[in-house]
Amino acid sequence: MAERTVVFEIKRQASPDAPSVWERFELPWRPGMNVISAMMEIAGNPVTCEGHCTTPVAYDSNCLEEICGSCAMRINGKARMACSSLVDNLEQPIRVEPLSKFPLVRDLQVDRSVLFENLKKVKAWVPIDGTYDLGSGPRLTPQEQEANYPLSNCISCTCCMEVCPQFNVETGFVGAATIAQVKLFNNHPTGKVFKEERLRALSGDGGIQECGYAQNCVQACPKQLPLTSAISDVGREVVVQKVKDWLKS
Amino acid sequence: MATAQPTSAPQLQRGVEPLRAAEGSSFLWRKLHSLLGILPLGAFLLEHLLSNFEALKGPLAYGQQVYFLNHLPLVRVLEWVFIFLPLLYHAVYGVSIWLRGKSNVVYYPWAGNWMYTLQRYTGLIAFAYLIQHLWRERFTGVMLPENPYYAFHKVQMELANPWMLAIYVVAMIAICWHFSYGVWLFAAKWGITPGVTARRRFGYVCIALGLLLAVAGLASIYAFVGPLYPNAPVPNL
Ligand code: SF4
Ligand code: SF4
Ligand code: FES
Repeated sequence: MAERTVVFEIKRQASPDAPSVWERFELPWRPGMNVISAMMEIAGNPVTCEGHCTTPVAYDSNCLEEICGSCAMRINGKARMACSSLVDNLEQPIRVEPLSKFPLVRDLQVDRSVLFENLKKVKAWVPIDGTYDLGSGPRLTPQEQEANYPLSNCISCTCCMEVCPQFNVETGFVGAATIAQVKLFNNHPTGKVFKEERLRALSGDGGIQECGYAQNCVQACPKQLPLTSAISDVGREVVVQKVKDWLKS
Repeated sequence: MATAQPTSAPQLQRGVEPLRAAEGSSFLWRKLHSLLGILPLGAFLLEHLLSNFEALKGPLAYGQQVYFLNHLPLVRVLEWVFIFLPLLYHAVYGVSIWLRGKSNVVYYPWAGNWMYTLQRYTGLIAFAYLIQHLWRERFTGVMLPENPYYAFHKVQMELANPWMLAIYVVAMIAICWHFSYGVWLFAAKWGITPGVTARRRFGYVCIALGLLLAVAGLASIYAFVGPLYPNAPVPNL
């Protein structure tokens, strides 16, 4: 009996300005294999279907359990986490491409630092630095923890931005992840000192107003963040903040 | 190198720039676009569809409605301030929103994404339709503000052309769609329905609203082309 195999088609690009090429690989099937483990296997023997020797595929990954957020790529056309994409659930040949909206580094590696920049722009942190010990912060009630926990699950994978029709060079939209983090840190009893600043930041060009509510983000998010609800809540708060600012100016 | 088939020319990809925190005025313009869609444009749409419904009562009732509307105090000012200017802004800014979005419904054929795309295309249909509708019914031909009782006849002549009738039917459905989904979007984006269940329930309300408006609109088209009032006479005034 012939050995069971899986076929991959991977979009390769040696450098940001090199032409892209598709390469086809066939490897033995193993139970429970996922897209990252398949690429590890390719690295062990980087020979294409046609017998041509090539380089191992470059990609980002770390945790292999969908928690570090580094392995987002387009698999069969859709953005998702490669480490949790089980080969058995995918149609073959499995086509793997880099995310399309971030500057390409090499092969499947892209530069997603825009999310980090955006999180900095909205001060997505709890400020506790100072010249003396501030002591312990206020207590969070279990109810507050319950409400905020889903928002804290974001792994900064940028899937929500990749799939968003409004996230592009034309709009310079901030994307759903940053909006959700604004809600998370505004809900935090210490984090909320920056609440007004965060809301004003999100009313800047490329801010929350650019969302067209296509709801792709919430469909694509591997961690099931309640993104559209966050966009609604923060959207209302930004409007209220702008009206207040306007009346007080 | 038998396998290396170049699929695209070398190109350096520009990334999406980060948020311009608290800078610029696009928030104001975008929110104005959104608000104008509900008030006054949505309100005017309701008024227009209700007025059209008078056509089912016949040419005289329809003429009286047109007479009434054109004798509101400061009617020309109302018309420009609450209809034409907001409409122009909503349409032009809407086209720019459409141009700047990159629809990807081919890759992600999800319900919300379809609605996002349809909202743009129904908007474009409405814009194109309204240019000809205003031009032909409001700014050329028999002037209805001065001759309100010609209204039924004028519309009937217009709809006698089957192509024009088809355009009116398509535009009626597109506009009712655009408005009712617009109401839903407004509630979602302004944070009136932040909960998933609330959005779903309000979705049913908006479907009902859209259906009601479309049926009412199509019924009034029927009043002009159906057997109710064939060859409505031109009034001798
Ligand atoms: S709702 Fe749609 S437009 Fe808004 S952030 Fe999500 S994917 Fe983008
Ligand atoms: S919100 Fe979801 S999709 Fe977006 S970056 Fe966070 S985990 Fe990824
Ligand atoms: S490797 Fe960490 S999320 Fe996939």
